[in-house]
Parts: sequence; C-alpha cells; structure tokens
Amino acid sequence: MNTPLLSVENLKVRFPVKRGLPWKAAQYVHAVDDVSFDIQRGETLGLVGESGSGKTTTALAVAKLINSWEGVVKLNGTDFFSLDKESLRLERANIQFIFQDPYSSLNPRLTAERIVSEPLRQLKNLSKKELAESVDDIFDAVGLRPEQKKLFPHQFSGGQRQRIGIARAIISKPQLVICDEPVSALDVAVQAQILNLLRDLQKRFNLTYLFISHDLGVVQHMCDRIAVMYMGKIVEFSNRMELFNSPQHPYTQALLSAVPSVDRKRRERVQRIVLSGDPPDPLNPVPGCHFAARCPSVDESIGCLKKFPPLDTVSESHQVACYRFKR
Amino acid sequence: MTTESPSPIKARHPAADAIAMFFKNIPAVVALIVLTAIILAGIFGPIFYAADPYDMVWAPFSPPGEEGFIFGTDYLGRDLFAGILHGARVSLLVGLSAAAMTVFIGVTIGALAGFFQGWVEEVLMRITEFFQVLPTLLFSMVIVALFGASLPVITLAIGLVSWPAVARITRAEFLSIRQLEYVTASRASGMKPFGLMFSIILPNAAPPIIVQTALMVGSAILFEAGLSFLGLTDPNVVSWGQIIGSNRPYILDAGYTVTLPGVAIFITVLCLSLIGDGLNDALNPKLRQR
Amino acid sequence: MNDSFRSQNKPALLKVQNLTIELTTRLGTAPVIDDVSFELHEGETLCFVGESGCGKSMTALALMGLLPEKVSRIASGSIEFNGVDVTQASADFLNQLRGNELSMIFQEPMTSLNPVFTVGEQIAEVLRHHQGVDKSTGVKLATQLLDQVKIPEAHRRVHSFPHELSGGQRQRVMIAMALACQPKLLIADEPTTALDVTVQAQIFDLLDELQKEHNTAIMLITHDMGVVAEMAERMVVMYAGRKIEEGPVDEVLQQPAHPYTRGLIACVPHLQAFMHEERVPLLEVPGVVPSLNQFGGNQCLFADRCDQVNERCLNNRPENKYTNQRSVACWYPTAEGVFL
Repeated sequence: MNTPLLSVENLKVRFPVKRGLPWKAAQYVHAVDDVSFDIQRGETLGLVGESGSGKTTTALAVAKLINSWEGVVKLNGTDFFSLDKESLRLERANIQFIFQDPYSSLNPRLTAERIVSEPLRQLKNLSKKELAESVDDIFDAVGLRPEQKKLFPHQFSGGQRQRIGIARAIISKPQLVICDEPVSALDVAVQAQILNLLRDLQKRFNLTYLFISHDLGVVQHMCDRIAVMYMGKIVEFSNRMELFNSPQHPYTQALLSAVPSVDRKRRERVQRIVLSGDPPDPLNPVPGCHFAARCPSVDESIGCLKKFPPLDTVSESHQVACYRFKR
Repeated sequence: MTTESPSPIKARHPAADAIAMFFKNIPAVVALIVLTAIILAGIFGPIFYAADPYDMVWAPFSPPGEEGFIFGTDYLGRDLFAGILHGARVSLLVGLSAAAMTVFIGVTIGALAGFFQGWVEEVLMRITEFFQVLPTLLFSMVIVALFGASLPVITLAIGLVSWPAVARITRAEFLSIRQLEYVTASRASGMKPFGLMFSIILPNAAPPIIVQTALMVGSAILFEAGLSFLGLTDPNVVSWGQIIGSNRPYILDAGYTVTLPGVAIFITVLCLSLIGDGLNDALNPKLRQR
Repeated sequence: MNDSFRSQNKPALLKVQNLTIELTTRLGTAPVIDDVSFELHEGETLCFVGESGCGKSMTALALMGLLPEKVSRIASGSIEFNGVDVTQASADFLNQLRGNELSMIFQEPMTSLNPVFTVGEQIAEVLRHHQGVDKSTGVKLATQLLDQVKIPEAHRRVHSFPHELSGGQRQRVMIAMALACQPKLLIADEPTTALDVTVQAQIFDLLDELQKEHNTAIMLITHDMGVVAEMAERMVVMYAGRKIEEGPVDEVLQQPAHPYTRGLIACVPHLQAFMHEERVPLLEVPGVVPSLNQFGGNQCLFADRCDQVNERCLNNRPENKYTNQRSVACWYPTAEGVFL
C-alpha cells in the first residue's frame, strides 16, 4: 500500500473541567483517547458514534481547529501538527471542513460569493479575474445559480446554504475534506440532494472525505471504511461490507440493530439488542472496556473490567477491540 | 444537478432589514427627528441668534416672553435662550465624545478579553471590575478636581467611569459568537486572529454595542449635567447643567431658569433612549419576527 | 365528504373530519391544515410523516387544543374524541381532558421540563391537578411511574432535577408524566429526534410495552420512515398541510401510491437486510416544501417537485381516492392495481 493521504497516530484530546483550587490537579475529560487511523487518497472514511463519542472532536483536532493533547497527524507524510504558525495557516488550504449547521456556519453579513471565496482570498494569491472564475466554477459545481452570488445567507434555504458551505470547503482544492454531520440538520428530501452532490463532487474532483455521522444509513451509503467510536475510543474498524454484514463488537451490533429499518427482511433477520442504561460518566472513566457497563456479554474472567482491549485483527480490513472476539 | 425553487434575485443586506424595521418604529423616528433638530439648533442656532449668553441684556428674572426674550433672563439678566442654544453645543459635544471614548476603551478591552480568553481575559476583566466598583461620581469628581475643570478633562472623567459596561457587553458577545461555526470556518479558511476579531466577530457583535452607545450618549449628557450642577465645570463655557447649577439658589423665585434647561436635558436624553430602544428592536432578529 | 373507510365495530377513539386550520402571518392567511380527515382506534399506533413545515405538529397541537391563539383558528371541520367534539368544547372541559385522557410528549425533553422543580414534584403536580392526590402520595406514585418507565433507582431519581438526568432519562420522565393519568391517547411529536439511536430503541421499546399494557392509542409524528415501519400499523403522509396518502404501513411502504411518499422512502439510504457492494445514487425529491403563502391553492401543491406533473395537476386540487384500506390524493397514483 502506498503512503496514505492522512495518517493519525495515537491522537488524544483532553478538555480541562471544573477548575478548582490551583494547587489541586486539574480534572480532564478524555474526549478522544488514543485514536489511530489512516485515510487513502480518494476514499471516504467514516467516523460513527453517538453523541459524546468524540467523533467531532477527533475531526476538529485533525484539522487543528482545537488543540490536541498528544498524537501525530501526517498529511502526505509531513507532520501537520509540528508546522510553524504561518505554514500551518497556508496548509489549511489542504484540509477543509464542512459543518453540520448550515445556519450558524455562514457569516450572516457576507454575500454567498464572499463566503465561498474566503479560503482563496486568505490562502492563495489570485487576481480578481481568477478569483471570479473560481467562484463561478464552484457555484456551478455545487448546483447554485450565478445570480445567487450576491445574495446573503438568510435568503437561502437550508439545502442551498449547505451547498454554499460545500463550495467554500472545496474551492481551495483541498486534499482532505472533513464532513462533520453534513446532512443531519436538513430535511430528509434535502439530505438526499446533498449526499448525491457530495458523492458526485468526490468522483469529479477526486476528493478524499473524512465523514462524520451518527446516522448509520448515511454512513453505509457514503463510506468505504468505517471506524466505530465509543467514549473516545475506536471499538471497531472495518470496511463497509464487513461492518454492516458481520459486525463483531457488541456495541456495533447493538447500534446497528437499533436502527429502525423499512426493510421487512432486515427487521426479521436482525434481533434488536436493547442496551440498558446510559453511557458512563466521562469524568470518571472506569478501568477496562468503556462499554463494559452496558455490554450484554461482559465477562469478568476475560479481563473486560481490567484494561481496555487492544484492536484485534478479524480480517485484513477489519479490526475489533473486544476480548470476547479472541475466544 | 438539481436547482431549488427560485429565490428573489435581489440581494438584501441584513442591515437593510434593520433600517426598514427602525423606520417602522414611530416613537423612535419622532425621537430621531427631534434629536436632529436639537443638534442642528446647537450647531447653527448661535449663528442666527447672535446674542452672547454671557451678556447682561435685560433686567434679571424677567419671565419668558417679556421684551422678546422668549425664555426670559436669569439672575444676572442674561438671555436664557442664548444660554440653552450655546449649552446644547457643549452638552451634546461632551455627550458624544465621552460616549465615543467609552466605546473605544470598552470595545477594545472587551474584544481582547473575549477573543483571547485565558490569562488575557483574567487580567482585563479584573481591571474592568476594578473600574466598575469605583463610585462613579466620586471618582470623576476626583479626576476633575485633580486635573482642573476643562471640557477635555470632564469628557475623560466620564469616559473613564463608563466604559466597563461596554467592555462587559462586548466580551459577552465575543464569547458567544466565537464559538459559532462560521468563525471556525473562517479559521479553517486560514484567517489570522486579528482578521477574525475585527472583520468577522466584531461586525456581528455590533448590534448591542450600537444600542449601548446610543444610551451612553444620553447618560454622558446627564453625567455632565450632574458635574456642572456641582460646579465641577469649565466656568467659561455654558452647558445645560451649568445653567441649572448657577441658577439653583433662585429656584423658588424664578423656577423657569432651572426648569427650561432641565427640560432641554430631559427631551434630549429621552430621544436618545427612544432611539436606543428602536435600534434594539431593529437589530434584534428575534424581535423582527413579530 | 367523509373518508372513514375503516369499518370497525367499535367507534373510533379519535375521529377528525375535514379539519381546516388557518394561520395568519404577515403575508396573509393560509390553511396550515387543509381538509384533513383521519381516525384512530384504541390500542392502535398511527404515524404522521412528512418534512418539516407540512403541518404534522400543527395537527397534534390542534388535537390538544393548544393552537397558538390569535394567529390561528379552526376554520372548519371537527375533532371528535370519545364522541365529544373538542373544537366546540369549553376551556374547562379541555383542561380536564388534557393530561388526563389526552397526553403529549415533545421533541426536546430538556425544555419541556421545568428546571427549578424535581422530576418527582412535577409528576406529582400532574397527579394532583387531575386526580386530586396529595403531595406525598403524588411523589410515591411518581416513584412507581419512574420505575415503570425503567429509570434505574427510581426512589432516588424522583428527587433529581432535570439537569441531573441524561437526555434519554428526561424523555422517560416526560413519558412517565404523560402516562401519569393513563391517557387514552398519547401524542408523541418526534419524541426521539434529539436522542441517540440506542436510546431511541429503548424509548420505542418502552412505548410499545406501555401501549400493550394499557391499550393506549398512540399518534406518533416522525420524519423517519424506519420508525414508521417499526412502530406503526397505519400511516398518514402529510404535505403542505394536506393529507396526501394514508394506509397500512406495510402496504404503503411496499407500494407507495403518491410520488411524494415514494420519494420520502427512496431518498433515505436505509440499512438493508444484506449490504451490497454497489451503491446507487439516492432518489432525489428536488426543491423544498412550499412556503405558507402557497398553501391552499387549487392545484397539487407537490406539482413543482413532482416528475410526473402535467396540466391537470397544476389546475386542479387532486381528489382523495379510496380503496378499502387506503387513500391517496394524486391524479396519477403509482401503486399499480391498488388505485385505478
């Protein structure tokens, strides 16, 4: 395999909480805890998990939009994190972000054209004419009409606003586009429009996506490989077919079985596993597997409560972090 | 490629909505007209009404309307109308420049504190709190007493005691706006910190600051009147507060010498409040729905 | 026009006939609910589906008698609950009905609970108001209810404030509160949209169980066809204030008659029984729901998003067509053999 476009090694992100008295040790939430993965050119890697699993934090840390505690992120083999301020700023042209909320992600005081061209203005030295041409091309590519360039965000519908957000993310021809729940704030019919557009653009411009979502149906449709996260850890990492057809981790199994489906055959085949309880308190992590407290097949004798299980190989493109699998 | 239902082609700047909304607010528009008239009177009045407010022109305490002095004369026989016209200049000037100073200090400190957070915020907010807990009137009196009663010192004194409110508002706005996704998006677009601060966050934080500024002008005028009333004013310039202060002993014999400049202050400050209110409604998108 | 095509021996618990609700905005008056009729029987689950702005929540509010005052009014039609027309009932009667026989749970469990009272006090208050039990008995009953909705350590949780509970637990508290007086009809407006899927599964399990136990009728509002498939027996598809399709869930999902229903089903990438390697582009329903000022026109309001539109759709409002179990409002329904 050639060098991956992006490789993330042992990424950790911690947030301080409850700043108490200064001489006491600060308490931290381990939002992302030792996460490693890589992304090949042209593929879509999915990060799936429920709220609080650390998937958005991972994405923000990869783009260095928040600071990480530890870990290395390499883009094209060069260490993205150790760049000096100005090089990092310029390198941002290569990692772009599509945000979840099409309402708060566009500056209400700027025209659509201005919002879309911002990365070029900041990062590339282009003449006015080149700038205008790029904007025209990108407007066409995302399905916006040229006369909409002068309009302000509040004059667009949610789907159109998300198109503006997508245009902004791909105008600088980035190597990696991070999509953070790009459709979860949209109506179902509009979701399809945006998902088709994203897949279209990927083919057309050979884009690489890091795709974050809690919606397994969407992930199944968009992603080539998928990492399932739970409480800041990757618990299962697999290609699309194996993950959805034979999930190995009890959490993945429960998650998949919980998704309501219109397919009657699926409803008959998949026994719904209802998890009891809520995720544990992230402030006081228990030793052992983070999922142990809710796991239907937890077993003390194989070490579930002692240490977090390492990722085990299921097949060439499938890993799972569960002691039960080894047996 | 799909196209969604056609939207109106005409671009509408968000500010255009706010202006249209403001002009639908009748009290605010009336207040704006009255205030404009007062400002124009203050600027051009003394040219057309050439009487010197310091000249003794007639018998003291002649009531309004007598001998063509429509506001009458004060205890030294000076033309009260001329005094109020000239006073308008000074009162408005002090009000505006003190408010400008307030906004300048307040926005700078608030923006820095809200944007950088960490120790910068800690230090700046402690300073702000220090100024906020000082008794305002006493503190400004000390400044005026120390540096002498001239207009620049009075303006400075008012500015120094009023900026903490603006700093707090600005910081609060910065704190809430900086976590919005479009600010993160601008960072991802490679914008530098000062660009973020001044071209992204500040314009979006502006509405409450603008409202506060309008109200600030009013309170600065009141503050100046208060100081003048206590005699802490430049004796060589007439202001509304100074007229009230100097005529104070005769309030029972010639009430109008105190009432008329008082009414001038009242109307001006009321207009500023109404305008501030109108701006608040116009700039607040949640209220716009009503 | 009467479309009560279901002939059951027992009279319907809820019977809505030709309901039209007008909403007044700055742009004028428009029918947010436009001539909608449906029935709901005891122990049955009926799902309302559609995009936002189609009038699903408005229907629910109308049933509860909670329409926004001044700006909206019931222009015509009737809502019969247990044989009484709610639209004509007095405010006192409605108050007695709400919370007692009719209950509602909302999408956002954080904002629907009062942050300054414990959950036990809030449930006890509902009981006190409707059944006149005193406070200590109320809290005791509240503990039982929390236990019933499977909140662990109910005796302790009853003294918790809403912010001390997780989203899933708060929604359970809302359900406990809604079920406090054993209502005959429970209206759930997107009850799990703010929750994670595993928690959603727990909530649906709970609703299922409680329904079986008390024979409660449930009106479930959702935008997720998967939820419809799992939860309901019958479904109503709403578009721009109109009921455009109704029928048994399995039949409608397999043979949708209205192009909008078809679009809603096919535009979502659903999980299938077995995953295939190939991925076909999702079916797109272009455009967005029309804005309120376009509601009520004498045409098919879906016409500008429909791929089979013709002259007739633009000039005539489609009539409801019926079969034994189903209805559709389209001039050219697609389910072969079902509608002629």
